[in-house]
Amino acid sequence: MLLEVDGVTKRFGGLTAVSRFSLSVGAGEIVGLIGPNGAGKTTVFHLISGFEPPTEGAIRFKGVSIVGAKPHAICRRGLARTFQIVQPFVNLTTLENVMVGAFNCTDEVGTARQRAVEVLDFVGLGGRRNVAARELTLPDRKRLEMARGLATRPELLLLDEVMSGLNPTEIEEVIGLIRRIHAQGVSLLIIEHVMRAIMALSQRIVVLHHGEQIGQGRPEDVARDPKVIEAYLGEES
Amino acid sequence: MAAEVVASLAVGILVVAPPFLPPYFLEILISVMLFGYLGAAWNILGGYAGQFSFGHAAYFGIGAYTSTLLFLTLGLTPWLGMLAGGVLAAVFGLFAGYLSFRYGLRGPYFSLVTLAFAEMLRVVAVNTKAVGSSLGLVIPNRESAPLNFVFAGKLPYYYVILAMALAALWITRRLERSKLGYSLLAIRENEDAAEAAGVDSLGMKLRAMALSSFLTALGGTFYAQYFAYIDPTITFGPAVSIQGLLQAIVGGAGTVLGPVIGAFVLTPMSELSRAALRGRAGVDVMLYGLVLILVISFLPNGLMGWVRRRRRA
Amino acid sequence: MTADLLLQAVVSGLLLGGVYGLVASGLSLIFGVLRIINFAHGAVMMLAMYTTYWLFTLLKVDPYLSILVTGPAFFVLGMIIQRLVIEPNRFAAEHNQLMLTLGLALVLENLALVLWQGDFRTVRPPYASASFMLGEALVEVPRLVACGGAVVMALALFAFLRLTDVGKAIRALAEEPEGAMLMGIDVRRIRAVAFGVGSGCVAVAGALVTPFFYVAPDVGESFNIMAFVVVVLGGMGNFVGALLSGFIVGLAESLGATLLPGSLKQLVVFALFVLVLLFRPAGLVGGGRGR
Repeated sequence: MLLEVDGVTKRFGGLTAVSRFSLSVGAGEIVGLIGPNGAGKTTVFHLISGFEPPTEGAIRFKGVSIVGAKPHAICRRGLARTFQIVQPFVNLTTLENVMVGAFNCTDEVGTARQRAVEVLDFVGLGGRRNVAARELTLPDRKRLEMARGLATRPELLLLDEVMSGLNPTEIEEVIGLIRRIHAQGVSLLIIEHVMRAIMALSQRIVVLHHGEQIGQGRPEDVARDPKVIEAYLGEES
Repeated sequence: MAAEVVASLAVGILVVAPPFLPPYFLEILISVMLFGYLGAAWNILGGYAGQFSFGHAAYFGIGAYTSTLLFLTLGLTPWLGMLAGGVLAAVFGLFAGYLSFRYGLRGPYFSLVTLAFAEMLRVVAVNTKAVGSSLGLVIPNRESAPLNFVFAGKLPYYYVILAMALAALWITRRLERSKLGYSLLAIRENEDAAEAAGVDSLGMKLRAMALSSFLTALGGTFYAQYFAYIDPTITFGPAVSIQGLLQAIVGGAGTVLGPVIGAFVLTPMSELSRAALRGRAGVDVMLYGLVLILVISFLPNGLMGWVRRRRRA
Repeated sequence: MTADLLLQAVVSGLLLGGVYGLVASGLSLIFGVLRIINFAHGAVMMLAMYTTYWLFTLLKVDPYLSILVTGPAFFVLGMIIQRLVIEPNRFAAEHNQLMLTLGLALVLENLALVLWQGDFRTVRPPYASASFMLGEALVEVPRLVACGGAVVMALALFAFLRLTDVGKAIRALAEEPEGAMLMGIDVRRIRAVAFGVGSGCVAVAGALVTPFFYVAPDVGESFNIMAFVVVVLGGMGNFVGALLSGFIVGLAESLGATLLPGSLKQLVVFALFVLVLLFRPAGLVGGGRGR
């Protein structure tokens, strides 16, 4: 097991955001995490990536507990993430943005630059290397965010709603990119609202509602699970 | 290429011309170099790491008092005392920095806490007889003693501060092209995203703090040796803190040349205003304030930042 | 430390603390609405003190009476400063906005220095040395009036914020900036008003302390730092917290003076400042915005 989230609870004051939640990602897997708005999905990402400590429970990455570890240390071990609202380094160029990630694996500027160029080509931003990040369009910013994470040579990549705000063509491109990332040997845990994307990509889906797991399994099974349907419909009414 | 030529020419002039300058201009040039140097030191933490310290006077004062006290009590040459002061300042900087960063102080809260630390040192100095209280300390410097960092004329002092300023610029340039530099910029832009990309923000910020405080302290020693007199207000007061950040902001924080360009603009301006309105203290600082407001409003990235933007366009 | 000394320290501390509270309330209000730490706050106070001085020296206007002029005048000045300097830069980076108010402080303080030089001036109306005994403690009337006036002004501020439409709009903008715009509040105007009110408060504080303080270009600086400490202690943006914390800081400073010689008393206040910043940035009193 690459990642094990074991009975994790997170309380913020009187509010319980996540309750006895468990999840695992095996090497080579693509796991989807879905749930209505406010279900606690991004909180789970914050817990896994070290931005918030769990109130209870265990989180293990490659067999070793990462509870209490700082985000950069977790990244060093091979776990990278993107943010729901993209966070580029706006005053740096696209290349410089990705170099920051590349420095995860080297101290040399030249090596980092080379790695960054490779990753940018891989995600399709090669031509925009020297553009200031603030001038990138939203789809390009999303690619940049993924590139920066990829440059750290992760074994597991956490993607937080990378398709939000994209049009259907752009979504297709990102689906293709994610498949290529997976083909490189990177395992993925994906939060997504675009249902057809996550159904198409994931081998397994975990459903979160009000901070609790209400279902998990293969995409087609989860789609038919009455509890899951009710959770989503309940949100709409 | 053109930039390299211009830079070499400028350095050349700065080395060769001063012996021919009238003393008044030499004095101004020394001030320019000193403020540019302090600005460059501040810039490492402020412009590159994005941590705006309002209390760099703390390190300036530690440097000035350490070398002076070691000189007056133990006869230790200020050349070595300078290094001792730098190390002490770096230690204090690491202490203050660790407290601040470890407890997550960012933005204006960080600025306020640095202000508090500097003020605390000032109050301690004012109330400590051993360091001369508010009367301060005088460095005897009537006779030339180069080994003790005492020179007869102003010219040698000029070359010392010129060397320091150039060294500071060189250090900044090296920093820019290093892993530390990239990490600091990332932290400045977005600390959380930097952490998520593997940047040890606490460690990197502390490194920047240590370097910045060490360099600032060396400037304090220079000041003590050049002006031969220090007191708590001059060394730990907000004026010094403001000078450092002013050069960097006006010239362009986060650029190599910014602080020095800022010094070349601000210092003559302040001199002219003081000469024009003789006897009216405060005009020069008032102008600083106006320039600061204007720069923030119209050239938020400072002069060098504006130049860079135009070059990219 | 004898009981008498302690009583005197408590009395002095509380009296000055009331003024700190008023100064800090203004600062807190400005932070709450505009999200900037106004480094020029103390400078405005200093200018108000000079205004009080000139009104007293040239026109024989009683300092307390002149508040009727100074308060509104600096309210307007505050609005003008906000409109001219701060509003155009409201989208600037946070640290740049800080620099802006720093620049303002430098301009205002040194303007005073240029115009009126650095000599200490004093305003001493006939009642300046009036005092009475409270047990074994000496209570100076001007300090008592200053504290009382400050508390009254602070209460008036709270009433204004709670009961008037403008006041409610200010609170709405402070608590829910996006919602406020949707509610049709004229955000630009409210921002100017908030800065104006904050400046008016600190101007009133300035007028109140003139009968027992000195007037000089740097007098605002010490109140500035105290105001920062009080605001952080009380919680940024927490107006009630600011008043209460004013008393706490006044007490801390005063008790520090009985324990430590000379100006070392300031160390007590700074140490408190640093500790609160590190461990409870939301303020001791709570309810403020954290880091």
